Amino acid sequence: MYVFKAAVIGAGTMGAEIAQVISLSGLPVLLKDVDPKQLERGMAHIRDIYARRVQRGRISEREAEDRLGLVTAQLDYQGFSDVDLAIEAVPEKLELKRSVLKELEANLPRTAIMATNTSALPVSEIARGLEKPSRFLGLHFFFPASVMRLVEVIGGEATDEDTLDSGVEFVEGIRRIPVRVKECPGFLVNRVLMAGLAEVFRAERDLGLEPARIDAAVAASGLAPMGPYALADALGLDIAQEVAQTLQAAYGDRFDLGERIAELVAAGKRGAKSGQGFYTYTG
Amino acid sequence: MADEREQELLDRFRYAVLLEAVRCLDEGISSAREIDIAMRAGAGLPEGPLAAADKQGLDSVLRRLEELEARWGERFAPPRRLRDLVTAGRTGLEAGRGFLEY
Repeated sequence: MYVFKAAVIGAGTMGAEIAQVISLSGLPVLLKDVDPKQLERGMAHIRDIYARRVQRGRISEREAEDRLGLVTAQLDYQGFSDVDLAIEAVPEKLELKRSVLKELEANLPRTAIMATNTSALPVSEIARGLEKPSRFLGLHFFFPASVMRLVEVIGGEATDEDTLDSGVEFVEGIRRIPVRVKECPGFLVNRVLMAGLAEVFRAERDLGLEPARIDAAVAASGLAPMGPYALADALGLDIAQEVAQTLQAAYGDRFDLGERIAELVAAGKRGAKSGQGFYTYTG
Repeated sequence: MADEREQELLDRFRYAVLLEAVRCLDEGISSAREIDIAMRAGAGLPEGPLAAADKQGLDSVLRRLEELEARWGERFAPPRRLRDLVTAGRTGLEAGRGFLEY
């Protein structure tokens, strides 16, 4: 199914980033939130992304204006009656996502596709209570979506093939790289990456190596773009811990990140965003 | 140049990533090609873990995993799929077939 008009529900950072990516591809997108202040922050974030692209010479000022004009910020469902695909990007709380999607479904045409942007919750669980779970799928954008090229396209138990195909086509249409992933805890990328991260944390203890030395060795080896400790700090230690706990519960102790990260998080050292994690950050 | 402990650490990282990728393949989470694409585009890895193993040679990967298993435990146990590929002579890039086809 060709998408002529899209919508994003939730104008937090992720929702705003996704709306920016859609608009950059030339597609009109409605950005809806229930909170006027959040909506304004989301639009400001989109304007910032475009301003940076103009600064870097990636896009002309005129083009940026045009693309920005494709984003409509709104508090209601005006204009949703001809939306082909809507992405829910509200916080990662199961009940919240369910109620937002239920309301959304009632405001979309019957043929529309609905997607959830989640990195943690099972798509099939989120789908419960929907009238047409066959037309619902997961689209896992990576943070920050304006930069990261990959989107995991995840079918739930009830998702039909046509919906998955349309999801893949849509992702290609907004110039991202779709990868079909069967539903499982952590999906694909976070699961595989976290297995490596947990092993490095264990190796630190077994081999008596310092994080800074490990990061330098990994970066120098060309195995990964940055060291695992710098990566965990960038991701947020609280987030990394949460993801690892989900994976550990599902697959076992190979995903155990150890005591150290729990101690740091408990002490408020949540990585780059809090100024302190494995490393100290200033300014 | 990485010293011995650093080399051990790098291997443990690399093989832990590879083993999880193979588990995803075994569970039908995604195809070999797509797993590699995802790890490059989503995690910024310069090479997909499956293509990298094919390049190294799966017989060599198997031997190293047996060493790691002996030293660090069964989480490094070589997956059945890997043994089968090696037995079938599908040892990777050089053989023209491994996790991926060439």
